[in-house]
Amino acid sequence: MKEAVFSSPFFGITISIVAYSIGVWINKKTKLAILNPLLISYLIIIPALIILEIPLEWYERGGDIINMFLSPATAVLAITIYRQREILRKHILSVLGGTIAGSITSLAVVYLMCRMFILPDEITASMLPKSITTPMAIAVSESIGGIEAVTVLAVIITGISGNILSPILIRIFKVKNEIAQGMAIGASSHAVGTSKAIELGEVQGALSSIALVMSGIVTVILSLILFI
Amino acid sequence: MKILYQIAIIFGLCLLGEIMSALLSFPFPSAISAMILLSIALFSGILKIDHIKEKSDFLLSNMAFFFIPAGVKVIEHFDLIASFWWQFIVIAIASTIVVFLVTAATVTLLIKVEERGKRQ
Repeated sequence: MKEAVFSSPFFGITISIVAYSIGVWINKKTKLAILNPLLISYLIIIPALIILEIPLEWYERGGDIINMFLSPATAVLAITIYRQREILRKHILSVLGGTIAGSITSLAVVYLMCRMFILPDEITASMLPKSITTPMAIAVSESIGGIEAVTVLAVIITGISGNILSPILIRIFKVKNEIAQGMAIGASSHAVGTSKAIELGEVQGALSSIALVMSGIVTVILSLILFI
Repeated sequence: MKILYQIAIIFGLCLLGEIMSALLSFPFPSAISAMILLSIALFSGILKIDHIKEKSDFLLSNMAFFFIPAGVKVIEHFDLIASFWWQFIVIAIASTIVVFLVTAATVTLLIKVEERGKRQ
């Protein structure tokens, strides 16, 4: 009976949507950035699987179907870029400069901090692409000897911290320019950060999408040159 | 029917993206190939935003949701991460802040450069 219920793809999909809806609801009610919907979803789903002793494979029958939408969701970011093509054309110097500076900083800071904490090489390799979007980060991680799931975890912590911290950093450091806000969010915290940038405004959303794509490409190229 | 057509267009592009990535000799994510193909289709005018509007709004507005299963997979790797979980979190958060600030500062500076260029 237990297997019949929990190994159905409908279970994985339903629990994910319910957990996420609770996350969105709590986030709206409390207006606290730390109570991020994605974070709340994990705090509901992971303990639920452990307590009810549901194997990950059962959850993944539904999870894989949701996962399939990651690729289309990344692809349609092209639309937000297309809608803001005028801004892109006008600020091509800032966009290119910002992305390259952001990508180099990310690789350098992560590499140095991993050395500082004397982490094993495979963990360092898994963490290096942490600032870029999941599908690209996995590709980089695999090609430089990292572990896929560790990369996914680093990418998600990065995304959630960017999603939570971006509005705070914008306020503290008085980042007034909407283009700089969007670029900084996209370069530091990829698609999860971008979902926050979209909430801040259309310009921020578009620039964040542009930054996430460009940083992804720059990081792929840099890590292939530097770490292989 | 409209939404079915839109799903077909976007999934079709993703399939083309997978084909494109498979043909390349180095690892290039198929999601990014699909995004490049969609950009080409939009900028060349082959595809109008109206052709895929509802489906892409659905994908964009629920973006964070699609990351849930990828993160739940971490259950499998608790042992590996357990021995240095706090360093892991410190690096992930600290580097995000540094990258945010460096990018914001660079872009703010370059926008001033661009504006000065325009005035002259």
